Amino acid sequence: MSSRRSRSSRQTGASMISEDQINDLVLQLHRLLPELGNNNRRSGKVSASKVLQETCTYIRNLNKEVDDLSERLSQLLESTDSAQAALIRSLLM
Amino acid sequence: MDSNQTTTTTSSSSDLSHRKRKKKSPPSPPPPSLQKWRSEKQQQIYSTKLVQALRELRISQTPSSPSNPRNGRAVREVADRALAVAARGKTLWSRAILSKAVKLKFRKHKRQRITAPSALTHPVIATGSIRSKKQRGATVMRIKAKGLPAVQRKVKVLSRLVPGCRKQTLPVVLEETTDYIAAMEMQIRAMTALLSAVTSPTEHEEEGQTHVLG
Repeated sequence: MSSRRSRSSRQTGASMISEDQINDLVLQLHRLLPELGNNNRRSGKVSASKVLQETCTYIRNLNKEVDDLSERLSQLLESTDSAQAALIRSLLM
Repeated sequence: MDSNQTTTTTSSSSDLSHRKRKKKSPPSPPPPSLQKWRSEKQQQIYSTKLVQALRELRISQTPSSPSNPRNGRAVREVADRALAVAARGKTLWSRAILSKAVKLKFRKHKRQRITAPSALTHPVIATGSIRSKKQRGATVMRIKAKGLPAVQRKVKVLSRLVPGCRKQTLPVVLEETTDYIAAMEMQIRAMTALLSAVTSPTEHEEEGQTHVLG
């Protein structure tokens, strides 16, 4: 238990997270987001609220895409064994 | 003397240009964890795991049954679990996904014993770290730096979207989010490649197509 505490002790000591660290994280997140219209914005200032909003939207979109893909995959698997055979074939080749 | 002057001037100008270059230093590269999700190798590892898991998932044994809406959900869970395994237990969201699957298993088999340790014996490391974080971590509300209610609201919504982050501090949520997004992007790439490899195997019989699956 003590070893686990010491491993995450960096968070106890840093419970007073500095604004800089938060800003760094927000910037990192901002870089991940699809750069739609971000070319106009100066790289200096990024609104945290906007980044968070876009992040939520982006995650929802990603979730939806994964759901669609899994739906298609499930339909594929539901069809006869030919799909599975094709899968195995494409893997073996 | 002249030569010295010229050399000094050239060196000084090069110094200036060096200084300029140093000032315009490029932003720090993405952390190695994010680069991991973008590597080809990681995608291949995930694709393999995904195919293995899908093969074990027996969907609708009878071909006569119509398309089951639940099966899409089952495939999604399989894909998420494979993704969580690919994360190698280093992130909160991956551990949350895995513990969700284990909890369901225990609820099915042992309805009486719902003691916490038995339910969480699988992700052992997760238990300790999640508990310790609950004791110590200030909730998102207490961070004075981002005290704006609008930002707080959005962080809360975000923490609900990312699995396993509902009661985490702001920096933790942000960190988990970046990793989660990178992982999901890889998941989408892998599943798309898998679908295209299976639905049109006859068109591209060259190695170019099968190379996708490694």
